[in-house]
Amino acid sequence: MIEQLTAQQRKVAYLVGIVVLMVPIILLGMPATDEANSGGQLARLRQTHDLGESTLGKVDPTSATMNLVLLGMRGIAVNLLRMELDTQKDRKQWAQMRATTESVILLQPHYIQVWRYLGWNLAYNVSAEWDAVEDRYFWVKEGAKFLMQGAERNRKHPEVYWETGRTLGQKIGRADEWKHFRKFFKIDPDKERYPNGPDSEVNPEGRDNYLVAKKWYQDANDAEERHEQHIMMRALFRSYPARSQLDYAEALQKEGLFDETTRTAWDQAYRDWVEGFGKMIFQEDNPTFEIFLEAYDKDIDQIAETFKVDRAQVDRAIDMHQKVSNYKFWRTKAHAEKQSNTLGVHRELYEAEQLFKKGDLESSQEALESGLKKYELMLENYPDLGMDDNTLEEGLWAVMLWQKIYQLKNQIQPEEFPLKELWEREAGRIPNIQQDFNRRYGPSS
Amino acid sequence: MTFDRAPFLFGPALLHWMFVFGSFAGIIFSVTVLIALGVYGASGPTAVMGRVWQGLHDFLGISPRRIWALALLTIKEAVRRKALFVFVVFAALVMFAGWFLESDLRADLQVKNAVSFALTTISWLTLPVVLLLSCWGLPEDIRLRSIHTIVTKPVRRNEIVMGRILGFSVVASLIVSLMGVVGYVWIRRQVPNNAELICRVPVYGELGFLDREGNPTDKGVNTGDIWEFRSYIEGGTKSSAIYKFPIDQVANKIRFESRFEAFRTHKGRIGQSLLVRYVLLNPTKSLRVPLESFEVVEFGLNEKDLDRQVTYFDEEKKTNRTLDLFDDIVDQNKLTIEVQCLDSGQYLGMARPDMFIRMPDRPFVAGYFKAVVGVLLLSIFLITIGVTSSTFVKGPVSILLTFTVLIVGQGFREFMLKLITGEQKGGGPIESWYRLITHMNDTLALPDNFGVKLMQFIDNLFMGGLWLMQHLIPDLSYFVMSPYVANGFDVPWSTALAQCFAMTAGYLVPCLLVGYYSLTLRELEAK
Repeated sequence: MIEQLTAQQRKVAYLVGIVVLMVPIILLGMPATDEANSGGQLARLRQTHDLGESTLGKVDPTSATMNLVLLGMRGIAVNLLRMELDTQKDRKQWAQMRATTESVILLQPHYIQVWRYLGWNLAYNVSAEWDAVEDRYFWVKEGAKFLMQGAERNRKHPEVYWETGRTLGQKIGRADEWKHFRKFFKIDPDKERYPNGPDSEVNPEGRDNYLVAKKWYQDANDAEERHEQHIMMRALFRSYPARSQLDYAEALQKEGLFDETTRTAWDQAYRDWVEGFGKMIFQEDNPTFEIFLEAYDKDIDQIAETFKVDRAQVDRAIDMHQKVSNYKFWRTKAHAEKQSNTLGVHRELYEAEQLFKKGDLESSQEALESGLKKYELMLENYPDLGMDDNTLEEGLWAVMLWQKIYQLKNQIQPEEFPLKELWEREAGRIPNIQQDFNRRYGPSS
Repeated sequence: MTFDRAPFLFGPALLHWMFVFGSFAGIIFSVTVLIALGVYGASGPTAVMGRVWQGLHDFLGISPRRIWALALLTIKEAVRRKALFVFVVFAALVMFAGWFLESDLRADLQVKNAVSFALTTISWLTLPVVLLLSCWGLPEDIRLRSIHTIVTKPVRRNEIVMGRILGFSVVASLIVSLMGVVGYVWIRRQVPNNAELICRVPVYGELGFLDREGNPTDKGVNTGDIWEFRSYIEGGTKSSAIYKFPIDQVANKIRFESRFEAFRTHKGRIGQSLLVRYVLLNPTKSLRVPLESFEVVEFGLNEKDLDRQVTYFDEEKKTNRTLDLFDDIVDQNKLTIEVQCLDSGQYLGMARPDMFIRMPDRPFVAGYFKAVVGVLLLSIFLITIGVTSSTFVKGPVSILLTFTVLIVGQGFREFMLKLITGEQKGGGPIESWYRLITHMNDTLALPDNFGVKLMQFIDNLFMGGLWLMQHLIPDLSYFVMSPYVANGFDVPWSTALAQCFAMTAGYLVPCLLVGYYSLTLRELEAK
């Protein structure tokens, strides 16, 4: 019959057909708006089952378009891009590699391992390839920015938020170049692009790297309340915001800042650890009951009674969680460090070393002897600190400095000295610390 | 891109081309004569000779007027087929591209992105258009029988092929030139005010090495890089890199640019880059002129200006000396520079193109339009292949064939070479398939039996075909000149443009012959 129609009639028939067919297509496939229950049947189903692109995070239109354009060839395209990425990495074509990383992510915007791996690659591997510290910092930032982008597009995945926090906190704060990196985080070395101080993309408010990391860890915890994470034990994962505050306070001390800012930081760290992390609820299965780490006898009794479980079982679960997160140690550490006199001990030892560097051996020796006595007292009050590597290293280093002064003055050091007990007990640690000490101040004669 | 290509030598290239072309022509002629002899007896070879004679006659008697008339028809046809609509797509891309190019990047990276975008867009828009036009033209004429209106006129078949190639080339030239001009204006407007559009003219030298004992060696140390492009010298030893630059003119100042790579075996001083020193050498006079050391800028450019009068501290005489660069230091028209790393236990990596003398810059427009010429030459090359293939196969097959040449020529030659040389493990197609389904790793030896021998025999036949393809399909990456311009370099004649002109011309001649004989022998009545 269609053959009997004229060309024009056929065209009109096709047009009518197209319009008629569009009706069910629109009804089924109309995209959703911001309002609930908007869009066609498919969009509503996606919303109901949390499968829509918009429910996963910020939508990148380019990404969706690319996937459509490839018509099911995405896997092949990704493979080719990953091969290209490897070649560019081998050939040290970093700028091109960064661009290819973006292309990979356009095709795999919700593949979490890709975000984690490529973010790590930029922040850790590529940065290490550069010689100038400023360049290394640039690539650490690139890694962090990449992960931030990943977190924005994958709000269901706490892992990417956590990874961003780790890059901003531990990579910047614990790398060999940490002193430079931490300064750069507040005042970016690229003054032309960031004349106001920090790179606003990673640090809009110009804060300390550990505090920015704390915010990202907190976001990770918020996301984790809605969506499960798969990288570590839950108690450990949720401890990171508080751990970041501890790191912040410790870093201030390492940089020689012993004023009220540091004390307040430790005070906040203590509160975060005990009142924040310590009061978090963790669920135990089979039998089901809920625990928190800052629990005393009466709390354990109450939990056992509420959930009708054996008290010993509750006790054991809390103990296990505390051990995994090293809960008691950090509580003691934060409690000790927030005291003004503890801070004074650290300040005295730090200042003694500064005096030593200036060549004022007498004042340095005096400050060391006073500081070491107070240090000994601090360890008596908080024996748990004797387990902390940093604390022990600080004490042993101070003793070495004290011995060095005697050596430089050609005097014989007294038999008895503060921290002698610690010196003898921790003899196994001494060779390593002595090596670092000798590298900085020259070997003992 | 390393810009480390060997200069193109016309003489040897022409000889090589003549040898290959002659061999192919000879083989085809001999095979044709033998077949004709077998099929038609003694009259066969005579007929073949007649065809050859006819071909010679047709090629010697070509009429530029008729070719131009056919070219004009081709241009009209291209316009009718809305080829120029490509400008609409280009205009849309150029209008909105600025939205998608990152504007918070470093100024030089913004320039790089803008230049790459403009040239890549011109290339990606032009090539599909010319590919479709050139491959569809003749088959469509044959299908619609409109070819009869031409072949019944006093027009030779080679003139049809030439007219087609010329016509499409004119269309391509028009498209590429207009896009080139618009692209140039767009780049000018796109780059930030603090960015500079530069076109460096580098002069590269030869590179040699001295080992840690000071003995000459071909290469430095490999510090674990997979890519062995750069060699490393050890700091704080006698190890050094020796660059020898040709000097053919005297100047008041010479500018050196280098981009070295640092490798640390220990942390060293954090916050300080490795120290590098240049020492000017005159081997004949046993003269060593150490220059002031500097901290290396890695993956960036270290710029060093050298005045004609060089003052340095003479260690032996313990006094300052001033020498004339060209009279005292340049030796036999060569300037020799030793590069040393001064940090003990650290390494400095370099390759031949990592250091060069920067001649006075050319205007950016010169380099840019050379790259545009590269796109045009590639278009003409594709048109030649497309028109030729369309004389013996139908449109879709011709498109597939030309597209394959483009893809393989641009990106798969290296892979093919690895397959042919055996560097790529896993064997030929049958062996790969066998290993895949039996989960056999490519490092495991195959069993010694008849089946495996047969499989390898068939694979060798495939590899033979691949070898032929590898030699037939040229390296089309030469035509892509945007990396030069995007990185702020001029497009060199000897290592880029000359190669492309020669390649286009080299393929044009045999393609005309193939096209002519295919069209002559083809049944033009559409089936």
